[in-house]
Amino acid sequence: MALFHLQIVTADGLFFDDEAESILVRTIDGDVCILARHIDYVTALGMGEARVTAGGTTRRAACMGGMLAVTGGQVRVVASTFEWKEDIDTERALNAQQRARNVLDSAAASDEEKQFAQAALERAEIRLRVAGQK
Amino acid sequence: MAGASMKEIKLRVKSVQSTMQITKAMELVASSKLRRAKENAERCRPFFDILHQTLTDIALTNRDFSSPYLVRRPVQKSCFVVIAGDRGLAGGYNSNVFKLAASQMSGKEAVVLPIGKKAVEYFSRHGFKLLSTQYASVEAIDNADCSEIAQVLTKGYRRGDFDELFVIYTNFVSMLVQDPAAMEILPIHDVRSSQSGQNASGMILYEPSCEAVYNSIVPQYTAGILFCAVAESLASELGARRTAMESASKNAGEMIEDLNLRYNRARQGAITQEITEIVAGAEH
Repeated sequence: MALFHLQIVTADGLFFDDEAESILVRTIDGDVCILARHIDYVTALGMGEARVTAGGTTRRAACMGGMLAVTGGQVRVVASTFEWKEDIDTERALNAQQRARNVLDSAAASDEEKQFAQAALERAEIRLRVAGQK
Repeated sequence: MAGASMKEIKLRVKSVQSTMQITKAMELVASSKLRRAKENAERCRPFFDILHQTLTDIALTNRDFSSPYLVRRPVQKSCFVVIAGDRGLAGGYNSNVFKLAASQMSGKEAVVLPIGKKAVEYFSRHGFKLLSTQYASVEAIDNADCSEIAQVLTKGYRRGDFDELFVIYTNFVSMLVQDPAAMEILPIHDVRSSQSGQNASGMILYEPSCEAVYNSIVPQYTAGILFCAVAESLASELGARRTAMESASKNAGEMIEDLNLRYNRARQGAITQEITEIVAGAEH
């Protein structure tokens, strides 16, 4: 299969910098899979699962926010959060999920707090979903 | 006479010694914090580079100007985010940042968002219009703060409160070298085409649309750039402080040595004088 150069980077460092066969990400508009020789392309990332296939194996990750850009055959994913499946802290995600649910259920929380909690809940659920897969 | 000057010298030595203790302690604190700050800055660097590179690449081939972030408006007002330190005693660190800021701002109508206590103090003292003074601690700034700042800035830019956005920070080159730098964040434009005149013919496919993509990307891009600039600046501040305190401690050591020598001379002089007086008395 044709390969392309893929870089995945967040503020926590460089997660992937190698030749890859395909990358699938959740954009703000739905899932998108990029293969080699794609035309120049820019999209914003939503919250969801990412799948990177390189050397015949597919790795899964939780990928949230940021952008994906294809420029001259080079693919760059600049994400706010990117965690490989094996790096996800399930316990922390469970705690975050519980905390967010508590805020959403409480009557005292303001709309803004609820908005934050809703986003936190989504993040936690994506992490748990990615980590829970076989 | 000799006794009084001996006492004076002794007092001087004591005061220099206590100063040296302080500078030594500050040096140690700075070096231990520096290690973490440096790791942070280095972890951020690929993100910073790739983020910036990607956005300029896009700008190079972009032909779609439906997003306000891509359009260069006639500049009436400029916004500067200036990142300086929380404390002084870091050599030229703070003043270098302010010097660069002053040269960048000259001739422009500027609003400032200072980050760090020294920056807040400096710009409020010099009567600049400030966007906010709540970010008075560089060390406490995290990802959430950066997103908040970015939201405020991008909203202000869209509303037309200012027509360009700069960040002024300090590049951590090495333990000994820190370079203040200014970077233009908004509008996103092609830095190279204006120089080379070479235009790429490629078209970029935006999904779902250019405007939607930029509206989603730009606040995050701004937050990312700010976060990295803060990390770089923090490492630079600690590096500058460590170097300054190291040389201050060295100077104090030299002064103590010099004063000890003078003290011993004065003591020897007093003894010699006393002997001369006794001998002179015995001869009569």
